Amino acid sequence: MTTGTSELDRWREQIRRGGLELAILVALSGAPRYGLEVIRHLEDASDLVLLEGTVYPILARLTRDGLLKAEWNAEEASHPRKYYRLTDRGRRRLTDMTSEWREFARTIERLIAAAERGAS
Amino acid sequence: MRLSDPGEARLRGYLFVLRQTLRSFLPKDTVQDAVREIESHLREAIANADGAPNEGVALERILAELGTPAQVARAYSLEMTLDEAAATAGLLSIARALLRLAFTTARGFLAFLGLFVGYASGVAFLAIAVLKPIFPANVGVIVVNGVVRSVGAQFPMPPGAEARGGYWVIPMGIALGLALLALTHRLALRFVEWWRRRARWRTDAAAARME
Repeated sequence: MTTGTSELDRWREQIRRGGLELAILVALSGAPRYGLEVIRHLEDASDLVLLEGTVYPILARLTRDGLLKAEWNAEEASHPRKYYRLTDRGRRRLTDMTSEWREFARTIERLIAAAERGAS
Repeated sequence: MRLSDPGEARLRGYLFVLRQTLRSFLPKDTVQDAVREIESHLREAIANADGAPNEGVALERILAELGTPAQVARAYSLEMTLDEAAATAGLLSIARALLRLAFTTARGFLAFLGLFVGYASGVAFLAIAVLKPIFPANVGVIVVNGVVRSVGAQFPMPPGAEARGGYWVIPMGIALGLALLALTHRLALRFVEWWRRRARWRTDAAAARME
């Protein structure tokens, strides 16, 4: 029995979904960024292609949850830009999420390696 | 790329539709901030675009990458309405969230209907308790020709009907009314919380679409 392409796509989509908040927090872990900068950074640094308009509600949600702080800057461009940066709470969440993600990836890696050793 | 007048009109049209859609469900300040941010995104993307093969195609591509106003508004409004309801637990914000869900899916509509009946029944029991001392002959167990027809108030009483039951209707109405209101409100909050998690998951799914 083979796994259909659409099933594999759904599975990939679920992984992306699960990692999206983490990816946004990582994108903001260095310097503050505005929305389009976050989107472009994620596209350039990963293969995450985002439906751009739905990233803003996620940024708004993370701000409401106290993980990000948003500030308008009307001076540096011809149009105002809304910059996001991590709050202390956001930085703690990023640390927790990163270690959870790594632990999960290590667990799966171990499982795969054990299965591969058994098969050879 | 610098926008011509028709391009500027297309951009303003997009923002107008977005603003109107968001206004149906969100407070004015939130709408203003969201539309300002989306406008900033579009102007930034337009400024960085090379305008190839022509302005119209380039602008439509930028708008398509952002999503339709309805897609953007849906993601904003559902999450924000549910977050507000869950955070405040206020009757008005919960009613707004339930109304929003009723327009979104069949399941939301059924839940809205069920919870509306719960709230309305609670209020009806409290109304019975309030009306009994004012209209003692019209409120209680309504009996018509010796057959029990209902419990509540009847205006005017039909021929052969009488309201039985004494003033015990008052504490019973208060107790049942409050219990029903509390239970319905608790159920509404649990429903909103469940849907909130679901809405967040869906927004993430919509954002992290596959290539």
